Amino acid sequence: MNIKLEGRIDANNAPQIEKEIITKLEKDNDSSLTLDMEKLEYISSAGLRILLNLKKDYTPDIRLTNVSSEIYEIMDMTGFTELMTVEKAYRVVSVEGCKKIGQGANGTIYCIDQDNVVKVYNNADALADIQHEREVAKLALILGIPTAISYDVVKVGDSYGSVFEMLNASSFAEILANEPEKFDWCVEEYVKMLQKIHGTLVPEGKLPDMKETALSWAKFMLDYLPETATKKLVSLVEAVPHDDHMIHGDYHTKNLELTQNEVLLIDMDTLAVGHPIFELASMYNSFVGYSEYDHEIFKKFQGFDREIGVSFWKKSLAAYLGTDCETKIREVEDKARIIGYTRMIRRSIRRNGLETEKGRAEINLWKEELLELLERTDTLVFSRNELDIRAENENLPEVQKFAAEHLAKVDCPPATAMQIGVAIEEIFINISNYAYTSDKGNTVVRVEVSKEPVSVSITFIDHGIPYDPLKKEDPDITLSAEERKVGGLGIFMTKKIMDDVAYKYVDGKNILTLKKNL
Amino acid sequence: MNINKTINGSNLTLAPEGRLDTITAPELEAVLKESLTDVKELIFDFESLEYISSAGLRVLLSAQKIMNKQGAMRILNVNDVIMEIFEVTGFSDILTIE
Repeated sequence: MNIKLEGRIDANNAPQIEKEIITKLEKDNDSSLTLDMEKLEYISSAGLRILLNLKKDYTPDIRLTNVSSEIYEIMDMTGFTELMTVEKAYRVVSVEGCKKIGQGANGTIYCIDQDNVVKVYNNADALADIQHEREVAKLALILGIPTAISYDVVKVGDSYGSVFEMLNASSFAEILANEPEKFDWCVEEYVKMLQKIHGTLVPEGKLPDMKETALSWAKFMLDYLPETATKKLVSLVEAVPHDDHMIHGDYHTKNLELTQNEVLLIDMDTLAVGHPIFELASMYNSFVGYSEYDHEIFKKFQGFDREIGVSFWKKSLAAYLGTDCETKIREVEDKARIIGYTRMIRRSIRRNGLETEKGRAEINLWKEELLELLERTDTLVFSRNELDIRAENENLPEVQKFAAEHLAKVDCPPATAMQIGVAIEEIFINISNYAYTSDKGNTVVRVEVSKEPVSVSITFIDHGIPYDPLKKEDPDITLSAEERKVGGLGIFMTKKIMDDVAYKYVDGKNILTLKKNL
Repeated sequence: MNINKTINGSNLTLAPEGRLDTITAPELEAVLKESLTDVKELIFDFESLEYISSAGLRVLLSAQKIMNKQGAMRILNVNDVIMEIFEVTGFSDILTIE
């Protein structure tokens, strides 16, 4: 039962008020009582005694809401705050005539005075969301992520708002719009923060699991995609391993701010834990997927051109993966697109996208891309040190580049790097020429470098016909030029160059490992 | 790949640059195929060659076999890394390396 108290409660009217409340309680046979004190101006000790009696004799479950700070102070001093639930009234703030300084997906930011801004939420029932965002922002800060925390929750008209200290800051979106020469710097800082977020281990149960959310998106597709496609989508998401590292969930250039001395992450309400692929999916959407049909909407949201956004995404992904290898970047991008499109389709359908021509065209575009990707994707997981590439001679430079990037991490001397490069070429070309008879298939090239002892190991995994190249007889290198056969040197050289070469055939896969101590 | 070609009478000098691998070896092979007729001395200048794999070695051995019939073949300015490849494969014994 909810009862509003108004004016003053003192010795004169306390007995009567008590009687009224009890009558109401008995009539309603309700065991819980909420006293809304928004309009209560004064309460004397006689009034406080009513509250005690009510708790003791009628309703142990008593709650006081909208308690003014003066009355809250009395409650606090007398120990009432320990006896019952006492909720302070939210300070009322007006944004009339205040400068609007930002507009996000879920609220508007106003400058309320020279030191403070308020983010007013669009949704009037946002109180729970606001509390959630404050809590996760605090958690992130404690875990070492630089962020801004709201210090007060206020009432703004019929909505609620979070008050933040005013930052003399520019978002990365503003920097890209106004100072395009800082593009590379922005990529660098953006990726640095991303790596920091993904390197942060979150105590269990503190943040929602992004995999569960993605799974619900995938299951939503059941009514909109062919059954086999949805099944595949769901199983791909299910197969993503649980990950307790933090992800931001809405990591784009408007949510990174540069203050005078540091880079701050904001808009923390989507914070979660999970595999980085889920983060990359939402990044893809922000920079590419969301505006893939209607390019115009990108600039409206971010304030800079879409081409810059697409390039920002590509460069950031390359830096995040630590590679310039196009195949690798595309592989991870394609995995991100699967989750990205799923999310966009669901979002659009839930916002009645199917009811407009533009919505239908947009959903159709995403759907076609998604179906095509599902056809050729077996996992959403990726490894930075693995390149999954079609075994074709023309892909040799990509393989060489990928391996060189990893060798560079252990300061491999150029002469050794060249030799390892030869061994890699010999094996890759061997697979390219012989592993797949009719249709070409892929090979995975995994490069592992270790610093102690300094060594490198390269593993080739293909699904081709079982073939152990090490069984091949070594050429007789003592023969004369006339007697020697042209060819047949590749595997022999590989064995000579590397310290260890091993082959095995496991689960339908040829696995060849090369090792070299540096 | 860039292959500098110098003809001096019946002498042919080829100076390939960069990498001699599966992708580029056919280019060198093509140059040899169209230029070797009537050549008495074939010189490879490896001053600017940085990398050689078995695909490159095949081309060299084929060229050596041809030049054994019609003249001589020499390889100049081989760097240490490529020399090591020649040694490992026994090519240092069958090629004339200066």
